[in-house]
Amino acid sequence: MRPFDQPVVEAGRVGGELPSSGSGGRLRAFAPLRRLTADTDLLLNGLCVLFAVGFIALAVRSAAMSGAFISTDSLFMTAVCLMLAGVFMVSPALMLWERGLLKMPSFAIPEGEALIDEGPIHFEGSMRLFLNVLGGLLVLTVIEVALAYFQVPLYIMLTILIGLSLIKAALIVAYFMHLRFERMSLVLTLIPILVVCICLLFIFFPDSTRSLNLRTTRAGAVATPEAR
Amino acid sequence: MSTEAHAVDQSTLAADWGGGTFPYHVGHKKLGMWLFIVSDAMTFSALLIGYSYVRASSDEWPAPFHFYPSVVFSTVMTLCLLASSFTMVMAVGASARRDKRAARRWIMLTMLGGLTFLVLHLYEWYHLIHDYGLKPFSLPAEWAREWPNAPPLFGACFFTITGLHMFHVLTGVIYLGWIAFKIRRVRHEDVEVSGLYWHFVDLVWMFVFPLIYLMSVYAE
Repeated sequence: MRPFDQPVVEAGRVGGELPSSGSGGRLRAFAPLRRLTADTDLLLNGLCVLFAVGFIALAVRSAAMSGAFISTDSLFMTAVCLMLAGVFMVSPALMLWERGLLKMPSFAIPEGEALIDEGPIHFEGSMRLFLNVLGGLLVLTVIEVALAYFQVPLYIMLTILIGLSLIKAALIVAYFMHLRFERMSLVLTLIPILVVCICLLFIFFPDSTRSLNLRTTRAGAVATPEAR
Repeated sequence: MSTEAHAVDQSTLAADWGGGTFPYHVGHKKLGMWLFIVSDAMTFSALLIGYSYVRASSDEWPAPFHFYPSVVFSTVMTLCLLASSFTMVMAVGASARRDKRAARRWIMLTMLGGLTFLVLHLYEWYHLIHDYGLKPFSLPAEWAREWPNAPPLFGACFFTITGLHMFHVLTGVIYLGWIAFKIRRVRHEDVEVSGLYWHFVDLVWMFVFPLIYLMSVYAE
């Protein structure tokens, strides 16, 4: 028996420790299969790679098959496929890195300002750091408000505003919500699902611009191929 | 549940991804709050994307916000929320130092920021409803003349999104009030979790403010 205070969970090794007494004769026939399933990590990550390859193939196909590549539909499909492929590649890449087969930039927090002032309960971040973050957020807000009074096309303004807002959101999540100082596994659990779900909502946008073009009664409607 | 060891350890990722007894190294309350925040973020992004959908498929959209009072007020509201986020970080920091009195003071300041936001926003609603006559499913006559092709959904989008956000701010103020009231009894994690909620309210406003207000500034 293993003492309880030792960590028992070893990812990927659980399958190999199945009790085989009593049914050993029957299981011997499946030995190659069992060897494969013993390394669950490898199997599941292989599946992930398969999915990723499939999505890359879909992306290439949608880019190649669309007549005009620079159109909302085609760009959207390609981007979604590539993003899903990227999501599926995260876990295999992590496994490769874990087994020392892939060199990656370290995720660990660099030494610096963030670690100067550590309180008794490991509260990373000094008042100066948070004041700097606050200052950055205020400056970005002022830039946004000033931008609203420049005469720029609406779509360019929207892009810049959303870009600045994403920077602000990242600052708040990383420093105020302390996610930068949390375990990497928490970050990798929370952020990708949110990003994927929000990106899937964008699936409606090609439809909204098309419904605008379909309405031929409006003043100055442009006759597009879809708006017959 | 110290994390300082892993923060400096260069081979942290392998250990982080290995599972173990505490796969995320946070308490269950904090994990629960994070999951709530993710799902609530999906609610707000669905609303904002629905609003963008309606706007993108319309010929015209009202841009009624004058510099004074709407833009000035909403900018000041943004600054209030950002400042209150900062004071909330300070509260969590004080709580981590076991300095309960300072933590309570900082939380009170945070609540003050939230209340200022609420008062300014309610005044803004009053201004739109009373002075302009904005209704959820019809535009004021003055706006309908100025933007004749606009659909009547401006009020629905505005009131739903800012109303839900205001409700979150109100909930947050009550939540923080409860934490400040019970500060001697609650644990550090409770303060931290309430801080996470408050920062999330701030985070949502960072998207509501440009999309609702700055995209509809009146071209004078």
